[in-house]
Amino acid sequence: MKFFSGRIFRAILLFSCLCLLPAQLSHAEDYDQIFHEANDAMGGGDLPGAIALLKKIPVSKGEDNAPFVRSRMQIARLHFALKDFKAAEADTREVLAVYPGNSEALNFLASVQQEQKSRSAVFLEDCLRFLPNLLKGSVMTITLVFCTMLISPLGGLLIALGRLSRFKPVSTLCWFIIWLFRGTPLLLQLFFIYYGLPALGVTFKPFTAAILGLGLNYSAYLGEIIRGGIQSIEHGQMEAAKAIGMSYGQAMRRVIIPQTYKRLMPPIGNEFIALIKDTALVSTIAMVELMRSADQMFNAYFNITALILAAIIYLVFTTIFTFIFEKIETRAGIYENR
Amino acid sequence: MKTANQPLLSLKGITKRFGALTAVDGVDLDVCPGEIVVIIGPSGSGKSTLLRSVNFLEEIEEGTITFEGSEVGYLRNKHGKRHLDTPNRICALRSEIGMVFQHFNLFPHMTVLGNVMEGPLTVQKRSPEEARAIALDMLAKVGLSDKRDVYPATLSGGQKQRVAIARALAMRPKLMLFDEPTSALDPELIGEVFDTIRALGKEGMTMIIVTHQMGFAKEMADRVIFMEAGSFVAQGTPEDFFANQMEHDRIKSFLTRIL
Repeated sequence: MKFFSGRIFRAILLFSCLCLLPAQLSHAEDYDQIFHEANDAMGGGDLPGAIALLKKIPVSKGEDNAPFVRSRMQIARLHFALKDFKAAEADTREVLAVYPGNSEALNFLASVQQEQKSRSAVFLEDCLRFLPNLLKGSVMTITLVFCTMLISPLGGLLIALGRLSRFKPVSTLCWFIIWLFRGTPLLLQLFFIYYGLPALGVTFKPFTAAILGLGLNYSAYLGEIIRGGIQSIEHGQMEAAKAIGMSYGQAMRRVIIPQTYKRLMPPIGNEFIALIKDTALVSTIAMVELMRSADQMFNAYFNITALILAAIIYLVFTTIFTFIFEKIETRAGIYENR
Repeated sequence: MKTANQPLLSLKGITKRFGALTAVDGVDLDVCPGEIVVIIGPSGSGKSTLLRSVNFLEEIEEGTITFEGSEVGYLRNKHGKRHLDTPNRICALRSEIGMVFQHFNLFPHMTVLGNVMEGPLTVQKRSPEEARAIALDMLAKVGLSDKRDVYPATLSGGQKQRVAIARALAMRPKLMLFDEPTSALDPELIGEVFDTIRALGKEGMTMIIVTHQMGFAKEMADRVIFMEAGSFVAQGTPEDFFANQMEHDRIKSFLTRIL
């Protein structure tokens, strides 16, 4: 009996094996067929069609789940391509329900989730990534601007007074300085000071070279503006000052120059706003300021957000300056009866 | 004419040229202490230029200026070429000669008090308290104490000119020069400025006044001078001048045009 039953069992087993074999083979063939058709559909651009085809492959309970995983991941990618990120996530989770550790599915889920984040969230993330460096660069930009703002009005005043001097050598020298520094590009001046002067035995640190270049250039421009301001003051003011016994210097200091402040504010404000942007040029002589930082970020991540942020920071600076200069202008003209 | 031993100011052969134009042509003038000299004449006759030469605002080509007995203002270099004295000496001279301009030329960025204080403070280097006391004194003199803290832009023309007079007086000048002090004023404002000048005259201030106001010349002047084409054509006491010199054709036609 035992033998019999054993035989019968074996026979049934063998039969069923014989029956199942072609069925199993035909399943694999079906799946291949499905993948093939889906590929064709994709090639023809019919992504929803390809998804419908691939969905025919069921979750198989057996050991070999490769077609299932392959099909669901394919569907997920197709949904991703169709920008249906929710469906793509669902497809991936379907795989993960069966294989919680599937690394392909896990990676894909991460990128789907990243993609599902709103653009503003991505932008915010980029901002947080770039801002520390950009702000560090901004500190240098502001330092350069303030140093130049301290130097150039004084240099400009000297150049202006020199231009107005009746002593020919002085006025000619000042004319020459203006001619030279207004007549050549600031970029070239910076190059010359940083790269050119060492050839003549004069070497500067980048910061010194930057301040020197910006200071001289802006002194030349402000010199002409200040000279115009001084000359715009009515001649009678100088005569009245002289008539009470003032020297030329006293008249300038007490009477003429204070009256130029209001008139000088708009053009000088203009110059200083140009200065904020011109500091970007010193990035060419090994200085890391705002523009250079933005450029570095942009090159490292190929992410335009760095440039947008830099633009915003520049705009913030120039806007603040505009307001400050408007305030100073109003203050400086307080004596004008309006 | 009030007389004194020595003229306060003595001009000899003053000549000022602008290129080909001779604005002042060899003018002689002695002004005694306390004397009020009024110069009249058509525009372009050199009155203002002469006045400005006294204060070295114009550099003269020829002639000498003697102030308080000593020749001042010009030096000769070793080649005999004349040039203006050192800035320090010129400034010192100017601080003894007050000048009032046609267009006031107040310092617009300073208050009225600031304008009047400026000379004592900056030129004479007095302390702020001292300068302030002097300035308040002078403002009281011209009747503008209540305006001391306003800016010149808020004043009328007459008030501006009175502040300008106070500013000049704050330096305690020995001589006052008035260059058409009322020509830029509305007619109704002329009176207050002349009242101020009149009060100065009563205090014995020596003054040279260029004006077109004949009434004022008649009333105030010790001497009236008619100037034309850079020279003095006629001069005399007001009575003499307006009675007799009227026969002079050019003066007659000028006065009829003015009056």
